[in-house]
Amino acid sequence: MGGLFYYLVTETECELCLDKLTEAESRVNKVSTVAVFDQVEKKYRLGHFRQTWNTALQGVSFTIPAGGVFGLLGPNRAGKTTLIKLLLSLATPSSGNIIRLGEPLSNRRTLARIGYMHENHAFPKYLPAAELLAFYGGLSGLSSEIIPTRVHQLLSFVGLSDRSREPIAGFSKGMVQRLGLAQALLTDPDLLILDEPTEGLDLFGRQLLRQVIQNYRAANKTVLLVTHVLTEVEELCDTIAVLVHGRLVYMGALASLVQDPTTGGRRSLETALRMLYEKEVPA
Amino acid sequence: MTPTPNALRTIQWMVHDTFRQSIASKLLWVMLGLTILCTVFCFGISVNGDDEPPRHPDQLPTYMPRSHDTPEVRAEGVRVVSGRVTLGFGLFQFDISKKRDDSVRLIQLWLAGILADTAGVLLAVLWTAGFLPGFLEPHSVAVLLAKPAPRWSLLVGKYLGVVLFVGLHAVFFVAGTWLGMGFSTNVWDPRYWLAVPLLILNFAIFYAFSSFLAVWTRSTVVCIFGTLLFWLLCWAMNLTRHHLVGFDVQGITPAAAFLVESGYWILPKPLDLSGLFFEMMQAADYSTPIPELVAIKEKGQWYPELSLLTSMTFAGIILGFAAYEFRKTDY
Repeated sequence: MGGLFYYLVTETECELCLDKLTEAESRVNKVSTVAVFDQVEKKYRLGHFRQTWNTALQGVSFTIPAGGVFGLLGPNRAGKTTLIKLLLSLATPSSGNIIRLGEPLSNRRTLARIGYMHENHAFPKYLPAAELLAFYGGLSGLSSEIIPTRVHQLLSFVGLSDRSREPIAGFSKGMVQRLGLAQALLTDPDLLILDEPTEGLDLFGRQLLRQVIQNYRAANKTVLLVTHVLTEVEELCDTIAVLVHGRLVYMGALASLVQDPTTGGRRSLETALRMLYEKEVPA
Repeated sequence: MTPTPNALRTIQWMVHDTFRQSIASKLLWVMLGLTILCTVFCFGISVNGDDEPPRHPDQLPTYMPRSHDTPEVRAEGVRVVSGRVTLGFGLFQFDISKKRDDSVRLIQLWLAGILADTAGVLLAVLWTAGFLPGFLEPHSVAVLLAKPAPRWSLLVGKYLGVVLFVGLHAVFFVAGTWLGMGFSTNVWDPRYWLAVPLLILNFAIFYAFSSFLAVWTRSTVVCIFGTLLFWLLCWAMNLTRHHLVGFDVQGITPAAAFLVESGYWILPKPLDLSGLFFEMMQAADYSTPIPELVAIKEKGQWYPELSLLTSMTFAGIILGFAAYEFRKTDY
């Protein structure tokens, strides 16, 4: 299974038939960062008529380096999902600047090189799995010639090829999550964003996901992982950023965070995070 | 991946998805079922009315053609067509003082101009009102919006998908009823096909408004009731304006007159669209037209082309607003 995925990630790029990248985009392929956040702030207005604002992010600045697994951590309502939404152009920042794959957010074409696995997929239930992937592939810019092959490969990879013609209304949550993973891998993206990916996944699904992440790392591509499962973070992440109450409170190597600053010994990630969370008081 | 082909491809995929959605939601079969019912109804019609025997005043039918319904005719008698319409494969029969062709065209006028254009369009608006709010539900749309497709093309694709779907049914309806009536009466009037663009245009205008409500509120209930209210408002504005202008109604304040006149020109004009269809079907020969339309025609205030153009412009602008709102909305 892993071997097949390695084939998908590394060998088939030429077969994807994405429309030819421009020279500028080819240059971007070689950038050392996949995302740059510069003093990013996001405020949401509460209700249509009330002029009260909720600040989800304030003054967030950091860089996601290219290659490896980047973990985004924080308690609930810390601003993690908002940050992902800004990066994916699902929302616009109130102020500050974001560079995505070397281009400003206004260039939506860079989204073709990002795969996004949502924490709680609400796919159209009337579509069979294969048609769903074909639909998302079409919207991602895959040519109609390559879509059937790509869909077949990915359904086999996530273990759903025998259910490819069934509407997903009859799928379990774990199966929908696996389909979500296949959807995120459609264009063999340079940046894979996984938002709470193990939610609802069974053992096979978790192994599959771990395999994907490890193969991405091996292919020197980037994974942005948002999760509350600390064992996954410890096992998979190279670098992490911690958000608390919309502010960035830590950004650096995982190894540095779990090193106790007073004794120099190793502490648990949970202890390190709890200290960060408690230190940061809501504004 | 230049923006235009990307947008076109997105629209194509969204249209395809809408058809899949309509099949899955059984809407395709419900609408086809209704069309088949109407077609069967048309197959069950038979009409005769080719003879015009002289009528003694005692033999005059209850309902006379308008041109014949004069005191002289009622006193002296006249040659009146002795027509008969049979419905439901002979179950129901009634006399009609019209020639066979006119009787068939009158039924066609009712089918397309009133049944399909009013009940059909409103039902289509009702049944498709949930398509866009469901599509725009945040969990559902997030993955779509994270694709490189331009946002506006997703919305326009969904809108066009629904309009094409309803348009296809308009073709089925007109074709089915035309064939049914043709086979059962041997009257093949090609003008009946003009109902297809009328139905599509009428639906497209009101669905544009429904799309705007969907983007703004993401609520199916608001889409349904908002669009129905808007349809009533447009009818009322259209009729009121023609009534005021056509019958020279006195005692209206200049402010009210301005409000009605500007409302008429800004909003879609469903009455005018129906009037246009009546005109194209030459319905004045065999049917009683709406008095307001007759009055403004007599006053030279009937501008069907402008009505059509301004109604379409309204739909375009409101769809543009919807696309703009969709483009800047946070999900």
